[in-house]
Amino acid sequence: MPVFKAPFNGYSVKFSPFYESRLAVATAQNFGILGNGRIHVLELAPGAPGVTESVSYDTADAVYDVCWSESHDSVLIAAIGDGSVKIYDTALPPPSNPIRSFQEHAREVQSVDYNPTRRDSFLTSSWDDTVKLWAMDRPASVRTFKEHAYCVYQAVWNPKHGDVFASASGDCTLRIWDVREPGSTMIIPAHDFEILSCDWNKYDDCILATSSVDKTVKVWDVRSYRVPLAVLNGHGYAVRKVKFSPHRRSLIASCSYDMSVCLWDYMVEDALVGRYDHHTEFAVGIDMSVLVEGLMASTGWDELVYVWQQGMDPRAS
Amino acid sequence: MATHQQTQPPSDFPALADENSQIPEATKPANEVQQATIAQDPPTSVFKNSEPIREDQIQNAIKFLSHPRVRGSPVIHRRSFLERKGLTKEEIDEAFRRVPDPPPSSQTTVTTSQDGQQAVSTVQPQAMQPVVAAPAPLIVTPQAAFLSRFRWYHAILAVGVLAASGAGTAVFIKRSLIPRFKSWVQRIMLEEETDPLKKADAKPSLAEEAVAAAKAASAAASDVARVSQEMMITKNEERKYFEDLTHLLGVQVQEMKSLSNNIRKLEGQSNNIPKIYSADQEVYNGSVTTARKPYTNGSNVDYDTRSARSASPPAAPADSSAPPHPKSYMDIMSMIQRGEKPSNIREINDMPPNPNQPLSDPRIAPKSKPWDYGQAPQDESSNGQWWQQKNPRSTDFGYETTTAARFTANQNETSTMEPAAFQRQRSWVPPQPPPVAMAEAVEAIRRPKPQAKIDQEAAASDGQSGVSDELQKITKFSESGGDGSGGIKIAEIQEETEQQHISQEGN
Repeated sequence: MPVFKAPFNGYSVKFSPFYESRLAVATAQNFGILGNGRIHVLELAPGAPGVTESVSYDTADAVYDVCWSESHDSVLIAAIGDGSVKIYDTALPPPSNPIRSFQEHAREVQSVDYNPTRRDSFLTSSWDDTVKLWAMDRPASVRTFKEHAYCVYQAVWNPKHGDVFASASGDCTLRIWDVREPGSTMIIPAHDFEILSCDWNKYDDCILATSSVDKTVKVWDVRSYRVPLAVLNGHGYAVRKVKFSPHRRSLIASCSYDMSVCLWDYMVEDALVGRYDHHTEFAVGIDMSVLVEGLMASTGWDELVYVWQQGMDPRAS
Repeated sequence: MATHQQTQPPSDFPALADENSQIPEATKPANEVQQATIAQDPPTSVFKNSEPIREDQIQNAIKFLSHPRVRGSPVIHRRSFLERKGLTKEEIDEAFRRVPDPPPSSQTTVTTSQDGQQAVSTVQPQAMQPVVAAPAPLIVTPQAAFLSRFRWYHAILAVGVLAASGAGTAVFIKRSLIPRFKSWVQRIMLEEETDPLKKADAKPSLAEEAVAAAKAASAAASDVARVSQEMMITKNEERKYFEDLTHLLGVQVQEMKSLSNNIRKLEGQSNNIPKIYSADQEVYNGSVTTARKPYTNGSNVDYDTRSARSASPPAAPADSSAPPHPKSYMDIMSMIQRGEKPSNIREINDMPPNPNQPLSDPRIAPKSKPWDYGQAPQDESSNGQWWQQKNPRSTDFGYETTTAARFTANQNETSTMEPAAFQRQRSWVPPQPPPVAMAEAVEAIRRPKPQAKIDQEAAASDGQSGVSDELQKITKFSESGGDGSGGIKIAEIQEETEQQHISQEGN
């Protein structure tokens, strides 16, 4: 399985929703504390397993997250540590990039998510405690959602309802929003410690997963949100990111500061169904390909990006 | 439906005005964008909390909000606290409505009744207002507010008394305990520094001093215990405030700890031991403004530094379970703490060279998601690439099989299986349809297919198709060496029926 070595610490990796061999990686120098950032666009080599970089973009500050546009196959959006949101078009020559830069967030932008159903807008979440809604054709944000009392680490669109999204925050709550409503529509005090990540189930639009500093992943149903559907124990440290499979209803992937990537089936007794210990530092970013079932990617502070098929060893060559 | 929801202003909006002041302008453009879409949600969305207001929760919130120490904290922190306790927005709004922010505290006794009336008037229908004849509000809820206010008035008195006694104790502690504690701290430090190179001659006298200090400390401790006993006896209510006091004691101890740290630094003995700790601490305390706090690294729940919440749960467990950071991370942290900038940072201009640069034309149309049409999309151009190849063993021994078996074990209650998930495990895969440019077209073309398949299968009797499937499996397993257990065979057969079940549901 191919490995890509980045010069900086990995923060996020995302498969393209258009090309099954294409990925974007967000990295940050000096562990994201202070320094530059770089976005890599990688291409899985046909034939023998391998990965090559097709282009990279340097930024003045750390890049914490990237996402691909769902309407333009060449467009990607980056969440930057200086509070800016930048848009790149990989089809244009590198010197023409970025094509946009929006400076609105007062602090680090931690996540960016493109609307998968409406395909015309995206969300960013920031340490300035807000979530912002953007449309591709607008020079400024459409709207700011300010309710969280602390950093918002992730905001994710619902896979079926183009107006509904969820946000995970360091104020220990998960919030559900509908952009047609003036405020959040639901508050779920999901963990007793900071919530670092959340994601929607792709096959049941009422189910969410959250991950937290408390080392657990929890699964929630908005129809009865007082108690979690499942609590997944097994990580040794804070769980940095959680992601539902695009292909299997109850499959969840997570990565943690315990350096491992775990696979869970939240509907069975022994929920932990897979564990990968290929990273040698904090595992910070994971993704599962929408186009190729079972294809996974991860990155971490060891500056490595792995791409592998479920059931295989990421390090096997 | 959607427009109806937009135009209807939320009833709780005025109460939230201070926090959400930007929303009225903000909703406008959002609506513009929104007009482009078709509303999919029914009027009562499952994503909107529809639980009825719980009166007991409101009472708890009122108690919390009426606490004098809570009153001084910013609204957003009070709200955040209640949210973490599981209260809904509506309940919190209601509690805030019943506990309005008071005028300056010196006048509270005078204004209490007025406040209570204000609370009444906001809740009562307007017709009731003339009847406000002073004491007995007719509605239950305002009465509760009034009651809590009354208690609070008592609480003020109690706090006054306690503050006096507390201050006395504090003075006592400062006068007698702290000096003793200081000497004790000195002793500890000297014990730690056991290397004989330094101050070997100073030891005997210091030892004596240490003994004296220890005695003094124990005497002070017994004093405190006595004081605490006295206080315990006085009143039930006082006990609560005594806890605050002990908390204060804890704070003092903390101060002393930092004091001891300072002393260590002054004496220049800190070369070996506490460097990393202090470096970390100072960075987290924000003394270095250029560095960002590593919020999401999970090692630090430094929530309290900003929230100033009074009844916060202890953040201690997070400390003890902090993941070990890489050494170079610590190097960079201490570098920044020293005020140095890592040399590897470059000046980069990452502003758009042309802010009006149009997007290039998309080369392919968006693809539909597997969860939208129930089958994994397959890119014909790269069939058979290495990244599509499953571990051949994994279907027999690895994760795939075990989950499949688990799925079937579970399917009676949950019917969780994803048809797409198991398509690839079969020995024969139907050829893919040719590529279509438009996503809508793909859906239109592919959707009817499963329906037709079901019809066929439904037409054939259950037994027949089951038998043929089973035959297929058996051949497959004999080909692969016959190592599959009976259990797996059963799983795959059940999977077939399950698949039918799901696709029928889907259509």
